[in-house]
Amino acid sequence: MSGTPYPKEPMYRYAFTRLSPVQILAKLGPAAHGGPSSISPISDALAGKTIRIVTDKGPTLAYKFAGLNRLSVAENGKTFQASYGALTLDSVVLFAHLIPGTQRGYAVVIDRATNLATVVELWFSGYQDNREVQREIWQGHVEQAGKDAPTARHAATNRIEGKGFYWKQDAGPETLEFYPSAAYSHFVELSRQGGEFGYCAPSDYIRISDELYLYTRTECEFSGTFTLYVMDLNRIEQIGLRLGFDPHDALEYYLFRGTGEWLGQIAQFEKFGDIAGNPVPRPSPEKGSRRVYRPLQTMPKMTKAEVDAAVARNTRVFVNRTTAGNGAAGMATNGAAPSDKLVGKAMTLRYDDGPALDYKFVDAETLNWRFAGTGAWTNARYRAWETAPDAFIFGHVLEGTPNHDGHMVVVDFDQGLATCFNGTVNTPYFANEAAAKTWFGVIEAEGIVPPRRRRHHFTDDLVGTAITWNYAPGLTSMHLYSTPNTVSWIIFTESGAGGMEWSGPGAFVKIRDGLYFAYWLEDACNGTLGTITINLRTMHDAGIGYHCGTEGLSMSQIGAHARLAGRFDITKYYQPKTKRDEA
Amino acid sequence: MNPETIPTRRFFLKAGAVLAAPMNGPALAAIGGDARVAEHEDQAAIRIVHQDWLRDINGGRAVAQTQVGETVRRIAEDHEGDADMIAVASDGRSASARFACAVEIETALSRETTLEQMAHAQGEGFVRRTERRAVAADYVKTRYGWTIARVEFATA
Repeated sequence: MSGTPYPKEPMYRYAFTRLSPVQILAKLGPAAHGGPSSISPISDALAGKTIRIVTDKGPTLAYKFAGLNRLSVAENGKTFQASYGALTLDSVVLFAHLIPGTQRGYAVVIDRATNLATVVELWFSGYQDNREVQREIWQGHVEQAGKDAPTARHAATNRIEGKGFYWKQDAGPETLEFYPSAAYSHFVELSRQGGEFGYCAPSDYIRISDELYLYTRTECEFSGTFTLYVMDLNRIEQIGLRLGFDPHDALEYYLFRGTGEWLGQIAQFEKFGDIAGNPVPRPSPEKGSRRVYRPLQTMPKMTKAEVDAAVARNTRVFVNRTTAGNGAAGMATNGAAPSDKLVGKAMTLRYDDGPALDYKFVDAETLNWRFAGTGAWTNARYRAWETAPDAFIFGHVLEGTPNHDGHMVVVDFDQGLATCFNGTVNTPYFANEAAAKTWFGVIEAEGIVPPRRRRHHFTDDLVGTAITWNYAPGLTSMHLYSTPNTVSWIIFTESGAGGMEWSGPGAFVKIRDGLYFAYWLEDACNGTLGTITINLRTMHDAGIGYHCGTEGLSMSQIGAHARLAGRFDITKYYQPKTKRDEA
Repeated sequence: MNPETIPTRRFFLKAGAVLAAPMNGPALAAIGGDARVAEHEDQAAIRIVHQDWLRDINGGRAVAQTQVGETVRRIAEDHEGDADMIAVASDGRSASARFACAVEIETALSRETTLEQMAHAQGEGFVRRTERRAVAADYVKTRYGWTIARVEFATA
C-alpha cells in the first residue's frame, strides 16, 4: 500500500503537544547555531557586508555578515553571534537567524532598491501555548553613509486582499493560499494533508512595492507555525521562511523558494481609495499583541448528560429572537418571509441511505411526522421557505431521538426529489457539537411520481466561489468555498475590509440550475450546523441553523442578501489523483 | 425707531429663528417689555447649553442613551428638520426645548451567533445607524445658570 496524505484528524482536532520553554529552547539550539536549512542555494548577497538597520519604534540592528551563513548582530548594544541564511527575489533580500541561547530570532526583508527594511521579530513562549510563534513587525531602513534617512516605509496594506495563488515550494509542499481578508488568510495544504479542508490564520500583508509584498501567517489554534514570504505578483515567485514545530514536535526552520499559479482575484469591499492594512486593531500596545479568533476557548464543552438535560429544559424551534433594544434578529433580519404553501400537504420523504418519514403539514408552523409505517404521529413546530418556485426548505426537530436530530430538508416538487441534512449532536468530540449527514431521496405524494434513479447530488459548481451575505445591519460576512468540503467565513470590519476568518467542514448539493443546498459545521468553534439554500438568481438565501448549547437546543432561521464576490479557478486541484499522476 | 421695522422683529420672534446677535434691549422693550427680553436671553442661554452638550457628546466627554438603552455616539443638527422650539416657563425657572437632530445610535450585537462573536472578537461588536430624531430636553435654572434636567430622543 502506498499510503495517503490525509491526517488522522483535522488540524483543529489535533492535540498538539504543550511544549515547555525548556523543550523549545533545546529544540532550537542546533538550528540557532546552524542556521535555517534551504533546498535552494543560499544567496551570497550579504556575504562580507556590514549594515545597520534602524527601525522606527523597534530595535536597531547592526549586522556583520561573515560569509554565507555566519553573522554577528548588535541588538540595542548587545552583540550575538549566529548563523543565518538568505535568499533574494528581484531587489529584495530576505535573511533569517535565531539568537543562540534564546527562543528569539529575526526575519529581515530589505529592498535594495530603496534601502527600506521590514524587521520581523519572532519568539516562542509568548502565549499560553508556548509553541505558538509570536511576531512583531518593525518598519525602518538600512543606514546609508552620508545620506539622510528615507521618509518612505514599507506599510501594511489591503492591496493583496482578494487574491489567490497556488504555491509550490522548492522542498515540495504545495498549497492553495487565499487572501480574502486584510487581517487573515486561508490555506489548503494540498500535499501535506491531501487538500480536503481549508484552514484560517491571522496574517500580515506589507507592501514593499507595487508588485512585491510581504505576507505572514501564524497557525494559531493549530501547530503555532509561522510562515513568511515575499511574493512577486507578476512573476508569481516567492522566497520565504517557515518556523515552528510540526505535529510530531519536530522543528521546522527553513528558507524556501517557490513558484506558483494565479488562481484569481475576488472583490474588495472597502471604500474606493482605502488601501490601508491592519483593519483589525491590536488589543493593546504590548509587543506582539494581535486579535486572534480562538473560538474553542469560549465554546461550552458539554457532556451527553448535560446536553440531554439542556435539550429537555429548553428546545426552541423558530422562536423570534428579540434581544431588547438592538432591533437586530441575528442571522435573519434580511431573511425572506416564511411560506404557508406546504399547509394541507401530505407526503412521504423516502431517503436512500436514511429513514422514510411521513408528513402532514397542519398549518404554517405545525406539522405531524412519523417514521413511515409506524403508527403514532408526533406534532412538531416547523417553518418553510419557498426558495424557488415549488422548491422549499423546511426544518423541524425530531423530539425524542437519542441525538436530538434536526432535519433541514429541501423538497423540490418539480423533480419529486428531497434532500435532507440530518443534524445531530453527541459527536465524539463534544456532546453539544453538531454533526451532519446528507440523505438524498424522493417525495412520495399524490400527483408526484418520483424518479427511480435521479437524485439531487453533490456538486463542485460552487468550489472557489466567494459570496457576501448581509444578514442584518452591521452583520455581513463572506463565504469562501475553498474546497469541495470546506466553508470558510470572513467577517467584515466597519470599513468594509475583510477581518477575522474561520472555516469548517461543509458540503454542497445541486438542487437546480442556480439553486444549491449547502451546509457548514462550526467544528471546534460554536458547534453550530448552518444550512442554506443559495439562489444565485435572486441572490438571496433561505436557511436554517441548528445549535445546542447550555441554553438548550435551537433551530432558527438564516436569511441574508447576497453579492457575488468572484470565483477562484481551483477545481482542477481537487480532481482525484494517484501517486502515478504526481510522479 | 421706525414703526415699520416692528412687524419684522415680531416675525423673527414668532418663528423662533436663531438671532445672530442679541437684540437691542431698548428696542425689545419697545415691543414686549422686560419679560420678553429675559425670555429671549434665557432662550439664548439654553441654546448655548444645548450646543455645549452636543460638543460633549460628540467629543466623548458625555454619554447619552436612547430610551431603550442604546448608546448615542454622535448628534448633528438637522437643518432640514423642524425649527428649534424653546419654551421658557413664565417663572423663568424651567424650560423645555425640542431640537431636530441626526442621531448616530450604536447597538451592541448579541453574542449568540458565531458571526456576532467574531465581530466582538475583532473589537467591533456593534451596529451603528443614523436616525432623524427630536432631542426633547427639559432645563432648570440654578444659581449657576441653565442646566439640563432631562433629555429624551423623541421621534422626529
